Amino acid sequence: MKATVWSGRNTVQVENVPDPKILNDRDAIVRITSTAICGSDLHLYDGYVPTMKKGDILGHEFMGEVVEVGRGVDNLQVGDRVVVPFPIACGNCWACRHELYSLCENSNPNAGLAEKMFGHPTAGIFGYSHLTGGYAGGQAEFARVPYADVGPLKLDDDLSDEQVLFLSDIFPTGFMGADFCEITGGEVIAVFGAGPVGQFAIASAVMLGAERVIAIDQYDYRLQMARNRAGATDVINFAEDADVVEQLKALTGGRGPDAVIDAVGMEAAHGHGALHAVDRVKQATRMQSERGHALRDAILACRPGGIVSIIGVYGGLMDKFPTGALMNKGLTVKAGQCHVQHYIKPLYERIRNGDIDPSFVVTHRLELGKAPDAYETFKHKLDECVKVVLKP
Amino acid sequence: MSNHAAITVNRSREEVERLWNAEVNGTVTFADAPGDRGTEIHVELNRSGNPVSKLLSTKALAKVKDELRRFKQRVETGEIPRSDATPEGERVERKFKQRPAQPLAEGELEKAGLS
Repeated sequence: MKATVWSGRNTVQVENVPDPKILNDRDAIVRITSTAICGSDLHLYDGYVPTMKKGDILGHEFMGEVVEVGRGVDNLQVGDRVVVPFPIACGNCWACRHELYSLCENSNPNAGLAEKMFGHPTAGIFGYSHLTGGYAGGQAEFARVPYADVGPLKLDDDLSDEQVLFLSDIFPTGFMGADFCEITGGEVIAVFGAGPVGQFAIASAVMLGAERVIAIDQYDYRLQMARNRAGATDVINFAEDADVVEQLKALTGGRGPDAVIDAVGMEAAHGHGALHAVDRVKQATRMQSERGHALRDAILACRPGGIVSIIGVYGGLMDKFPTGALMNKGLTVKAGQCHVQHYIKPLYERIRNGDIDPSFVVTHRLELGKAPDAYETFKHKLDECVKVVLKP
Repeated sequence: MSNHAAITVNRSREEVERLWNAEVNGTVTFADAPGDRGTEIHVELNRSGNPVSKLLSTKALAKVKDELRRFKQRVETGEIPRSDATPEGERVERKFKQRPAQPLAEGELEKAGLS
């Protein structure tokens, strides 16, 4: 089959590789009909996530048709149309029983590696480095889906691929970011980053009843999408004025947002000062893995007693973390890779009810064979790119 | 260097003790985990203080951890999770000799005992 493989920093290729086979009773094989490039794939592409290996198939946002099931899968049949959550979760361990699926204790067969980095292993993830198991990803014609009796959501309607594809990751991820904010009505929420996850964090905060949602980015076209499609009430373009903390205070009568969502992660472009320069040098020389300007500003801007929700992806260590602001302002930090299996059904219902049509983020549609161009377009934000869907 | 490895299995102590079949080079004890958290398995490695055996026992400890994880995986999920990078499931020998994350060719499947 054809698959998108990582072949070193800033290089992906579409190559012929063996077709996947069932390896365990609870596996299924899915013929992929649509797959997407995630912002977090860019962290792999850029070479900032350790434990990548040449030849790794990328991609953790995919959907398609079941073409084979193992003996232990009784909820799916050949021909079923499914969306596949990006975390691989067994459904049996303590974490899964508590619906903390991205913390599955069993699905990562490189637990020893992950333990060295994080103290504990986290769940396996498709196409997302060897730290999360070394599973082949879904930017391909086929994928093997382990624990297929737990993850995939069976679709039984005529919604288009683009309307449901993002249930695999970015819609639930953005929703979880908003869910962390404990919105009861009347809050002001600031969302750092108006990329695809940020768009869904904004839309979700609005759905959950926030009164004002402030989008922060450096690209006007993304801020326009945030305002016109996701429902942001205010926008801040930090390319025009880099003092985001002061702007957020000005927009909130000095209080600061009740909760802040970091939908940026480890490669913040934000910040024009000396600290950002130090971050860039340290990251380029691999002395730290994170450029943390967005998270620092988020913590400094958040109102005392507020919530810091981190859904942007980080991989290792950050310097100059504002511990004093975090502690003295009494902030609560909530973070994590999304527990997609927990959110996927209720969010599918929201799509079916017409509460949201997630396809609004799609700006580019390409054949799988064009994946190398797609990565470049997405990375450099060319042609007003927000989200790329690949068709195998 | 620790001499100790432990894991918690989300099953009753009675069940864990009954199913326990992992081969580990050390003293094994079981304990109820607090609350509704299953059963703790503790392994204390047997080893002496000289530097050579210390070096060997680092690997021995990693092997014990592999066995504990595989036991937990079998008991909790009914199978050993296999990725394309580590088709045999978790093995310390694979840690720095990973396959690329792409499907195995026919011959490799046979080699890994999976065809």
